[in-house]
Amino acid sequence: MEPDNLVLQPRDVQFDWSTLPMHWVPDEPVTTHVMNVLHLLLPEGERWFVRTFQQAVPLISDDTLREDVLGFIGQEAMHAEAHSEVLDHLLANGLDPRPFTRQMEHVFQRILAPRPGLSEEQARDQLLERVAIVAAIEHFTAYLGDWMLNADALDKAGIHPVMLDLLRWHAAEEVEHRSVAYDLMCHLDRRYVRRARTMLLVAPVLFWLWVRGARFMVHADKSTRVRLTWREFMRASRRGLLPRLSEIFRAFLRYFHPAYHPKQEGSTAQAIAYLASSPAAREAH
Amino acid sequence: MLSGLTRFGSLYDAAVTRFGGRARPGVARDALWLNVVERSQVADGVVSLRLGGPALPAWQPGCHLDLHLPSGLRRQYSLCGDPGEDTYRIAVREVGAGSREVQALRVGDRIQVRGPRNAFPFAGLGPVVFVAGGIGITAILPMVHAAARAGLDWRLVYCGRSMAAMPFLDELPVGHVDVRIGRGGALLGDASPRGAVYCCGPASMLDQVRAEFSSRWLHFERFSPPPIVDGRPFTVELRRSGVSLDVPADRSALDVIRDFRPSVAYSCRQGFCGTCDVGGVRICVDRPTGDRLVLEEL
Ligand SMILES: Cc1cc2nc3c(=O)[nH]c(=O)nc-3n(C[C@H](O)[C@H](O)[C@H](O)COP(=O)(O)OP(=O)(O)OC[C@H]3O[C@@H](n4cnc5c(N)ncnc54)[C@H](O)[C@@H]3O)c2cc1C
Ligand code: FES
Ligand SMILES: [Fe+2]
Ligand SMILES: [Fe+2]
Repeated sequence: MEPDNLVLQPRDVQFDWSTLPMHWVPDEPVTTHVMNVLHLLLPEGERWFVRTFQQAVPLISDDTLREDVLGFIGQEAMHAEAHSEVLDHLLANGLDPRPFTRQMEHVFQRILAPRPGLSEEQARDQLLERVAIVAAIEHFTAYLGDWMLNADALDKAGIHPVMLDLLRWHAAEEVEHRSVAYDLMCHLDRRYVRRARTMLLVAPVLFWLWVRGARFMVHADKSTRVRLTWREFMRASRRGLLPRLSEIFRAFLRYFHPAYHPKQEGSTAQAIAYLASSPAAREAH
Repeated sequence: MLSGLTRFGSLYDAAVTRFGGRARPGVARDALWLNVVERSQVADGVVSLRLGGPALPAWQPGCHLDLHLPSGLRRQYSLCGDPGEDTYRIAVREVGAGSREVQALRVGDRIQVRGPRNAFPFAGLGPVVFVAGGIGITAILPMVHAAARAGLDWRLVYCGRSMAAMPFLDELPVGHVDVRIGRGGALLGDASPRGAVYCCGPASMLDQVRAEFSSRWLHFERFSPPPIVDGRPFTVELRRSGVSLDVPADRSALDVIRDFRPSVAYSCRQGFCGTCDVGGVRICVDRPTGDRLVLEEL
């Protein structure tokens, strides 16, 4: 009885960061900073999702899908704001994320912006490619969301509760809306070739940005002398604090299966159950 | 690094727009056409309809259907039957034009619907208190049955004007039900502070529940958007379209603009998500201090 017909509702969440320590996974600076990359990438990335989907709304000829896309836009807009508040907190506590976030602004506001001087047909085609890129990224956010909701090791490690709630709230909404971008892509262009090539583009770029972001954070954090190494990463993922690379790679491959649909990733029922008990999501009404 | 990525981005974009080939759009999911297979009066002013059709999509407690009425009106009705049945059941209270049109349907009529969709999902965790007011029982009833079936610790408070006006009194599981006529008195009583509350009823009931219960575990559905109080009428000018529309005191700019242009973007309709933002104005809630609101980009 998996509900796959949710009306997506943005939740007006609030988080209080005043007690967040620098290493919010206790004694795990590397894990903390690998996860901090979320806060570096997401605000700009999700604002770009919002702009892209707003441009796509007039192209939708299916009422249910239009409603889904509007709900998706609302949720992603809230995610972006919630994560950027963490950046403000980091800055106030002596870790300046701006050298990196400025680069993300360049990526999402310039490289991925609509290019000027295109014919109407070309502009539309470019928009479809952007939508497919979002769909590929959303495959990973759904995978990570599902992982996050099930990663009991995070509870055991004593993560700062407000941060855990932010991550799980976001994770649950990613699971909740995991089909929207894919359905929108298929509604506008259902060719396999577009799905496949955008994933081939997205996966390596995302991976590379993640490594750069994590390295940046570890360097920028003056309170620790550990370095980001594969050994550190493997150790953390063996502890269950980070997803295993082999699992991520398997998720990447699943996207190429001809019968793939995001519904197969994660559980909506579990997401709803979390949202019904999340301190932040419950305050949101 | 960024210059490399930038160059790659332009090459990629150029290649895609030149060699990308033609998009092949998917087919729009069709709305369902259902038959009215049963019609009965279940309380004063309340008619229940059973709708049948081949292979109805599955649903869960909290789901509603969007009925596309022959007059062009669209109205939502909660599914209030059993998710295991092979027909959908709705129950409709007579209010205005839309509900009268639904009540006028007869066995054998065909009706177009969209859904089911769920804006009020039941997480199925106990202990739980259900609060239903009048026709709001439609959304709550399947949850009560689900809770009873799952053996949760549950309780139902069901309020109405009179027994005769309250549908489904005969379908409630026995034992944990508190039926109340008229208003007054606390709704939740000894509701466990660690339990969840699911509420569906008129705005005044919801206000009372919120006053009695910290919002942390409160889930609710409104059958109509929250009423606009203290609103003043104004005119909204859409510069790009070159039209001015009158917004009455009890409607939002979004409501009025949607009548004019149904594709306008919105989501929460409560002013917090920003989806409806037009040049810094959240048209679902914002009202001008004067009597004129100008939107450049619409
Ligand atoms: C998710 C959802 C689920 C719903 N489920 C149900 C359901 O299961 N059963 C059901 O009956 N309705 C349900 N509704 C409400 C339903 O969709 C319609 O809004 C309702 O039937 C009124 O439509 P109408 O066209 O008859 O009235 P309209 O002409 O649209 O009048 C709408 C509004 O006018 C006011 N109004 C007009 N006349 C009266 C009156 N006589 N008394 C009080 N107020 C009045 C009310 O504020 C009302 O909301 C649901 C709504 C939503 C959003
Ligand atoms: S629709 Fe969400 S702010 Fe207006
Ligand atoms: Fe998100
Ligand atoms: Fe997302």
